Amino acid sequence: MNAFGLAPLLLIFPVIGVLFNGLVGRKFVEADREIGEKWTGWFGTIMAFSAFAVAVSLFFSLQANGHHAEVVHLFDWINIPSAGFHVPWAMRIDTLSVTMMLVVTGVGSLIHIYAIGYMHGDKDFSRFFAYLNLFLFFMLILVSGSSYLMLFVGWEGVGLCSFLLIGFWFSFVDKNGVWKNANAARKAFVVNRIGDFGIVLAVILTFWAFGSLEFDVVFETALEMFKSKEPLLLFGQEVAFGSVVTAITALFLLGATGKSAQIPLYVWLPDAMAGPTPVSALIHAATMVTSGIYLIVRSNTLFEMARLSVGSELLFGVISTPDLVALVGASTALLAGLIAFTQFDIKGVLAYSTVSQLGFMIAAVGMGAYVAGMFHLMMHAFFKALLFMSAGSVIHGMEHGHHHLHDHDDDDFDPQDMRTMGGLRNRMNITSVVYIIGALALAGIVPLAGFWSKDEILAHASANDGGIFTAVYVMLVIAAISTAFYMGRQLKMVFFGEPRHAAAAHAEESSNLMTYPLIALAALAIVGGLANLPHFAAEHGAEAGGFSYLALEHWLEHSLHAFELTEEHVLHMPHTPIQIQWSVAIISTILAVGSISLAFFVIYKDTSKANSAPDPLQKTPIWWTSVLPLNTLYMDYFIPAFNRMAKWVAISLDWVFWHDFVHNRLVRDMFVTFAAFTSSVLDQKGVDGIVNGVASTTRRLSGFLRQTESGYVRSYALSIFMGAVLLVIYFMFATAG
Amino acid sequence: MSEITINSYVILSTILFVIGALGVLLRRNAIIVFMSIEMMLNAANLLFVAFSRHLGNLDGQVLVFFVITVAAAEVAVGLALIVAIFRTKKSIDIDTLNLMKG
Repeated sequence: MNAFGLAPLLLIFPVIGVLFNGLVGRKFVEADREIGEKWTGWFGTIMAFSAFAVAVSLFFSLQANGHHAEVVHLFDWINIPSAGFHVPWAMRIDTLSVTMMLVVTGVGSLIHIYAIGYMHGDKDFSRFFAYLNLFLFFMLILVSGSSYLMLFVGWEGVGLCSFLLIGFWFSFVDKNGVWKNANAARKAFVVNRIGDFGIVLAVILTFWAFGSLEFDVVFETALEMFKSKEPLLLFGQEVAFGSVVTAITALFLLGATGKSAQIPLYVWLPDAMAGPTPVSALIHAATMVTSGIYLIVRSNTLFEMARLSVGSELLFGVISTPDLVALVGASTALLAGLIAFTQFDIKGVLAYSTVSQLGFMIAAVGMGAYVAGMFHLMMHAFFKALLFMSAGSVIHGMEHGHHHLHDHDDDDFDPQDMRTMGGLRNRMNITSVVYIIGALALAGIVPLAGFWSKDEILAHASANDGGIFTAVYVMLVIAAISTAFYMGRQLKMVFFGEPRHAAAAHAEESSNLMTYPLIALAALAIVGGLANLPHFAAEHGAEAGGFSYLALEHWLEHSLHAFELTEEHVLHMPHTPIQIQWSVAIISTILAVGSISLAFFVIYKDTSKANSAPDPLQKTPIWWTSVLPLNTLYMDYFIPAFNRMAKWVAISLDWVFWHDFVHNRLVRDMFVTFAAFTSSVLDQKGVDGIVNGVASTTRRLSGFLRQTESGYVRSYALSIFMGAVLLVIYFMFATAG
Repeated sequence: MSEITINSYVILSTILFVIGALGVLLRRNAIIVFMSIEMMLNAANLLFVAFSRHLGNLDGQVLVFFVITVAAAEVAVGLALIVAIFRTKKSIDIDTLNLMKG
């Protein structure tokens, strides 16, 4: 008994939610706030849960049929026989897509519940749930599509939903008169367009090279071409197979840097935090931003072929695309980790942390550690959704506290600024406990989820030889240290010490609707690591008490043909360690614990009372430096230099150069100029001119004709007579001729 | 007294038809216009009958019956229209019916 026939329901449930909330939800809320919110919110949530239930049934169906991929054909979409272009609308149910479905719908459902509490009282309550359900729909298309074109449909769809949800409060204007949210939404959309451009090119190139867009056919054809080593014929020219596959994978990488916020296109993600917090949790941390990782994991055979095609002269003579992927990921992880040091916005820290963790995943899949990347993706979905939603709970609490104050004279109050927080542990018990769990999981403290997944990536990097792997390993270790540090800093600033603002002193715990999903996610963040525990002993035949080690790896292997092909010696994936690497695990644990304690107990030991005091990172000596001659060196050179570097990275490189110059000046202005040209010249003068011209010509001609209609019966009668006379004359001549 | 030939009928019916046509085109009273239309129909009828007799063929006379029937129906509808027009316009001057002026 299998449930593959149920697969279409996965897409239908969210659509029902969209239709209900989009068409009639507003009426419900307007009719009666209390009941309307309950109906629309729970309706959307139940649709998400139903999709989750379908995903679970698909999971068991795959277990039952021996993990064989199943393609559920819904209908034909595009069929051009002459070009051999055939794209069915089909869903591919295999272990990889089901894993993604479970994460998307599972975490998504919890976030729906949370959003009922979080969005309580918002005037566009039902619109929010319609967008959330629409997002689920497109995300499920993305992960379940059986071809690159369907993947692209979902890819664009989630981009649209991201745009809609970042700009959810689009009418918000900040005190400088800037349309902050609407601008952030546009920025995300335009930046993503660059990445999407890469995907479009890659899809076109894939079709030209392999004659299909179906995953099965593409990988099969590519493999045959790879084995035969014969050049392809593209545009009447012979092109080496390696060049083609390198180009395709490089373009996929460009797409992934857009959606998954990697260097150089990561700039949109920090701004995206303008959206409501459930959106940050669901879309900009847990699911949508991981679609770049999904894309690379899905195309694993292509990337592994590209790994063996170094030296194909088309793009990179020196570096293969997977190596480039790994380097991009690792440098993003490092850079974003450093930027997070300087953030004061509670969601800003988490945003850069997300960029950094996505860098970990991208680095992992670039190194061929597809399972580790997916493992980290799942674990990150748990604890980062948890962190974001707890941060939302903190913001809610702070706003609540601010409302309770009698003096509303400080309009500059920012409920997201960590400098106004402090001591919230005593006011918000549940939130602080789950936040600490999430933060420790993110920092990689044993035995929480983040430790296992991060350790697997690091172990993979250290277990392989080669300059790339060493460089990636070093960068990721430093990134992991910074992760622990900024999370320690954040915990201290938000939850410990004394309240630095009256609002923090009056903050209140959020409602149960918000805290229960947090508790569920905290539980997942604690035990999530069980999904893919490594072997602890060299002889790994015995499985203790029926528990299976590396469960995720065995599960995903059925979708990752690169493993199989490596065993057949067709491909050569980097070596994946299956046993825990004690040295890596112990070093990273010591570094994480050390770094988090350094932040917590030393540098931010005395959190200041005033919220305007400078960051202690700039002035606090480390205790042991007082007994070492290095103290001066450290105080006078290292800390200022580090601060300057972090600041330089954050302000000059990131903000001034990258955000302002490249994105605003070059990309945005060019785009705006072009758009202005098309709108004012092409559209208004050209297209509108033609349309208006046709209309005015018709009008002028009809003016002439109009004059013949005098309205007098006699003139009509006269014309009838004239007609009759003309007919008579015609017949006379016709018969005469 | 010359003999009455077919030509006389043709001339008479032509005169009647022209009077009718001029009446339709020139008069503004709806009743007169209506009568003029009847006159044109009867001019045609006269010609039908005359040629029927002249050619010894009854087809023309059969056709006249049809014309009379249609004319009777037309009178019924036409007079009803004129009454309706008079009720709304308080006049049967057809020049006041210029709502269709473009």
